[in-house]
Amino acid sequence: MSGTTPEEASAALAAVRHAQSTVAGEIGLPRGYWWGLGLAWVGFGAIAELGNPWVTTVATAGFGMVHSVIASRMLDGRRRSEQVRVSAATAGRRTPIAVVSMLVALVALTLAAALAFDADGAGHPSLAAGVLVGAITGFGGPELLRGARRLFRA
Amino acid sequence: MTGRFDELIHPSTRLTLMATLAAADWAEFAFLRERLGMSDSALSKQLATLEEAGYVATERRLDGSRHRLRARLTPTGRTAFEGHVAALRAITDLAGTTP
Repeated sequence: MSGTTPEEASAALAAVRHAQSTVAGEIGLPRGYWWGLGLAWVGFGAIAELGNPWVTTVATAGFGMVHSVIASRMLDGRRRSEQVRVSAATAGRRTPIAVVSMLVALVALTLAAALAFDADGAGHPSLAAGVLVGAITGFGGPELLRGARRLFRA
Repeated sequence: MTGRFDELIHPSTRLTLMATLAAADWAEFAFLRERLGMSDSALSKQLATLEEAGYVATERRLDGSRHRLRARLTPTGRTAFEGHVAALRAITDLAGTTP
């Protein structure tokens, strides 16, 4: 067919896989998303300290709307870089599931941290929990998402 | 997918370039240059060859004061790439080589 030996064909296929995994390595969300989310987390902690259910409800609804607009564009994980748009086939369908599951886990962590701070007698447990989880999100969001994608085989 | 060995794609640099573009909707020149470790002139030459064959389409976009080149596979290029990969798999399968 081509004079190509099985070894050469095997090496060529390995090169193809390597090139495609390089592009797959670009799956994720932009750094700004994680920092924005981290700041929102701190904001929620501060709002919760006010103890006003109306303010908390309005802030939650506002965050939900803003996040849904952003997420509808970014949650597929194909737009982390401005230099490449990962194809839908490469990104797979499970990346949004991994992101949403990660957000749910961060909410659970925030609640647990706030309860722990409160039990420890901290002055502003909600704010402290918000700062803690906000920092985790801002600094470690991309790494956490990588772990979540592995977990969900996304 | 029926295998169709493509001599134009097979050289390692072009195969890597096609594989990278096949995994993306589009990629910028700078991304391809960095990931493939190629010089500007070498990458331009390979893109021109693939574009001439109708496998790749390029587009210049103005970003501020700078022009940025985006490349993407055409449907013809994607079919050729997938056919070539299928042909490579057929070769390894026939020989019982694990790819």
